[in-house]
Amino acid sequence: MKILEMNHIKKSFGDKVVLKDINVSVSEGEVVSILGPSGSGKSTLLRCATFLEHIDSGEILYSGKSVVTTDGGKAVYPARSELHQAQSNFGLVFQNFNLFPHFSVMKNIVDAPIVIQKRDKEEVYQEARELLRKVGLEDKENAYPCELSGGQQQRVAIARALAMNPKMLYFDEPTSALDPEITAEILRVLKSLAAEKMTMAIVTHEIDFARAVSDRVIFMDEGLVVEEGTPEDVIDNPRNDRTREFLQKLHV
Amino acid sequence: MKFLKKKLLIVAVFILIAAGINGNICEAKGRTFVVGFDAEFPPYGYLDENGEYVGFDLSLAEEVCKRRGWEFVKRPIAWDSKDSELETGAISCIWNGFTMNGRETEYTWSTPYVDNSQVVVVRTDSGIESLSDLAGKILVVQSDSAALAALEGDDATDENKALAKSLKNLQQVADYNSAFMNLESGMVDAIAMDIGVASYQLESRNGEFKLLDQHISSEQYGIGFKLGDTELRDQVQVTLFEMLSDGTFAKIAKEWGLTDSVCLSTEDTQYIDGGAVPVTDADIANVQSESVSDGTPKAVKLDFVGVMKQLISGLGSTFLIFVLTLLFSMPLGLLLAAVRMSKLKVLQWIAKIYISIMRGTPLMLQLLVVFFSPYYLFNVQTSYSYRFYAVIIGFSLNYAAYFAEIYRSGIQSIPIGQWEAARVMGYSRKTTFFRIIFPQMVKRIMPPVTNEVITLVKDTSLAFALAYTEMFTLAKQIAASQASLFPLFVAGLFYYIFNFIVAFIMDNIEKKLDYYR
Repeated sequence: MKILEMNHIKKSFGDKVVLKDINVSVSEGEVVSILGPSGSGKSTLLRCATFLEHIDSGEILYSGKSVVTTDGGKAVYPARSELHQAQSNFGLVFQNFNLFPHFSVMKNIVDAPIVIQKRDKEEVYQEARELLRKVGLEDKENAYPCELSGGQQQRVAIARALAMNPKMLYFDEPTSALDPEITAEILRVLKSLAAEKMTMAIVTHEIDFARAVSDRVIFMDEGLVVEEGTPEDVIDNPRNDRTREFLQKLHV
Repeated sequence: MKFLKKKLLIVAVFILIAAGINGNICEAKGRTFVVGFDAEFPPYGYLDENGEYVGFDLSLAEEVCKRRGWEFVKRPIAWDSKDSELETGAISCIWNGFTMNGRETEYTWSTPYVDNSQVVVVRTDSGIESLSDLAGKILVVQSDSAALAALEGDDATDENKALAKSLKNLQQVADYNSAFMNLESGMVDAIAMDIGVASYQLESRNGEFKLLDQHISSEQYGIGFKLGDTELRDQVQVTLFEMLSDGTFAKIAKEWGLTDSVCLSTEDTQYIDGGAVPVTDADIANVQSESVSDGTPKAVKLDFVGVMKQLISGLGSTFLIFVLTLLFSMPLGLLLAAVRMSKLKVLQWIAKIYISIMRGTPLMLQLLVVFFSPYYLFNVQTSYSYRFYAVIIGFSLNYAAYFAEIYRSGIQSIPIGQWEAARVMGYSRKTTFFRIIFPQMVKRIMPPVTNEVITLVKDTSLAFALAYTEMFTLAKQIAASQASLFPLFVAGLFYYIFNFIVAFIMDNIEKKLDYYR
């Protein structure tokens, strides 16, 4: 079953066309990496999928249910409550974490489930402790974000996204604000999530990272999906010139 | 949290009601006779060492009220707004060594009761002996005073106009105490003022100053009523004649050392406006002036504790303005910031214009607009207690503009990622603002808010523009009656201590918020 489906997505910022007729989907249990040089539109695609940006035209479906449609060449967004409903399908982990600095680690994780989802406090706290254990931060629940390293903060952000019990997780360049040696920390968490069949879509420009966790790799350039396939196909045996050029630059 | 807010609101409402009741009581009973006077004008009306408003004119007015069975209210006013005060009916008359000459047609006058000359005061060692010596010198007068009118007014004599021209500079000050400070420090060479006030000041300042023998002008004091209010004028006039005939008038004049200056006489059978002066049936005799010794009241010098005791009574008002202004302007500022950042261009502009006006014009002017606009725009008579409300409204409206901009800068400094993270997790805009953005904003804006709060403590002194007696107004009045700068320094010390406490509290809040970055 497909959790996300994006069809014929078009998006411009003023005169600059950023997404040119993109078709992307993510199936349940799948880990998809979206690769591409900066300016390729991969981050914009993710922001459109998470409704942080509005598309100009196209169609977005979550769990088979149509959310954004196009009428007369213009995208039509649903009422707030319906968008809210669609939002509950996913969680998003940001490049620079965006933890709430005035909340403790624990509060960052439990606030939305308790305040927004109105779930039972006791149960949420228990689940949060479980999640902290999973990301290796069980001793940090009372710390404040400013007291944690970047890698630790990113792991809290992952736990925070997971606490909402989403069907899938988006990662927007999850390691690019971190030192290279910290990347392994995050990779380990992502691998364990993959092992639990968590559905994930990861925007990244780290080839090794993409190869290590993904089932499928999408390579984007200049607002188009240039190549798509298994990591072995796209990363190790690229057929497209632009993909090859990008990979070569990185390997130098 | 909610509980606390409710509590604060209730306290605020109580304070307002209490203040309102306080002001209303006087207006409730019978005929009220409200005398408007400049509280920095001894011996006619000033604040004495016991914190009471006293003076020759107030004693006369009190006696008139007693005889007429009126309730007597002393109302210190800001001299510059005396006409508005009279016109709006906030005061019944101006009775305060009020010069008639040059103002003949502006008020409905009683007959003159004091003959007063405008004289020039110089330092004893200045070498200035006559009016001609003033050429090239700096002369200072009180703004809108009789001395100014005598020198530069439409009816000024040619000699006086020539004198004014010969001066290096003719400066104006708000009150006589500042004038004497200027003279004492050598910043000006001479002061032109009423002889009665000059004698009082010279008495208090042993021998440093002297009067020139030549007078600028001779003029008379009357009681000024609102133009056309002849009924009240006549009643006061008749009672004054009654007091004249039984000797009370002379007695009061003697008390205040003004025996040589008084000139109230039943021989004045015509008012300045041509009306006949009414005389009662009572047998009116010209009271023989007894030869009396000069009884100019001596100012009792207050020590530090005495000044402090008097100032403390004004500190309550200062504190009340401070607390209520914060209580209203801080939430109002938040609302204004929200409008300022609204998506609707129209609202944005309204807020922008409001803020620009509030920040771009003097707070003192805004206070005057708030106070006088109900009368001038809507012809609504305001009660005395409105003076207090006007101060709070004026301050709150003004400070809300500053707070709005502080809030806006605080809100805009929060990374957009905070909004986005909350949005993705399903927080509504409102919940995001109050749970995520607002607490972070509070921490960021602490330093500019502290600045603003400290400024507010000092700005409370601007309430004097509406003659609302807070600490600094009081300090100025005491300074005038004591003929000394000292009370102002004590007030300064009070402000400093007040601000020291404010800074301490704000610093502690900042430290409390320091648990995160």
